[in-house]
Amino acid sequence: MFGAVRLAVFGFLFLAVIYFLVSIYSSSLRREKLEKKWDDDIKEGDRDAYISVGMKDYAGSLRKKLILLIFVVPVVVVVSLLYVTNFM
Amino acid sequence: MRYVKWGFWLTLVLVVFGFFHYTLPQHDIVRIADTYEKRIDFGENSIFWASPDVGNATGGVNRDVFFIQTIKPNGKPMVYRNEDTGFGWPPYFKLDTSNLQTEATDLKSDKAAPQWVSITHYGWRNEFLSIYPNAVGVKPVSGPDVRIIPWVNIVILMALLILIFLIRRMWAQFRERSIDPVMEDVGEASQEARDKARGVVSRFFAWLGTWRKKSSK
Repeated sequence: MFGAVRLAVFGFLFLAVIYFLVSIYSSSLRREKLEKKWDDDIKEGDRDAYISVGMKDYAGSLRKKLILLIFVVPVVVVVSLLYVTNFM
Repeated sequence: MRYVKWGFWLTLVLVVFGFFHYTLPQHDIVRIADTYEKRIDFGENSIFWASPDVGNATGGVNRDVFFIQTIKPNGKPMVYRNEDTGFGWPPYFKLDTSNLQTEATDLKSDKAAPQWVSITHYGWRNEFLSIYPNAVGVKPVSGPDVRIIPWVNIVILMALLILIFLIRRMWAQFRERSIDPVMEDVGEASQEARDKARGVVSRFFAWLGTWRKKSSK
């Protein structure tokens, strides 16, 4: 079972890196969208305040929580592969 | 230089294609003639063998390996090895080697009354290196002409394409948001420096010009 432990440890580290990169990407997309929206439509009031409120909304959003699937999906795939390969 | 470029891309394409052709599962319709096990002393072909059964000691110089001898519908032989991949590469998570060997032995048939089976496997048979594809699963099929749609490969390759697309998008976003603004700043700074330098030079020439203008008057 040492192989399984090794896979779990290195797999987790690998997925943590992926999670980190994807969350940066996703929040960058949201920030860009907010900036564009302010520049094109709103154009009044404090631009920085508008964006920081939008980013606070994003921090609590479902979309940000969905990125956690990066940790869930590979585990489900590995467990189902184990089942399909060996016990089906 | 153009040939170097072509050579580079050709090599890259061959390596990527070879990697997937070796690693992704394939299905062969065959008739199982016999099964056996043989001790293997791993040599220069050791990279093409998998690992000892999960839970057993690792690092031995030799061990017994299960083999499945089969005949293809065209009459040519094909021999598969049957080894655990365990939790290593390639990620088939195969732990049921002994069960698979039992199933394969149970599906043995002779030429007179052939029982065709579909063997899922990865890897290559190569006589020069004495390497064998690793059987992952076996199931009986109705005849030698059964068509099997490689759903697993379709899903894996689609997922890889999506992943490559996502990485490209992520890189483009990173460039646009993080690298380009910095480069613009650097560009502006050097432009300012150049303006400043030009200012000195052009002021000097302008000063010279004041003499010329005066003298021409």
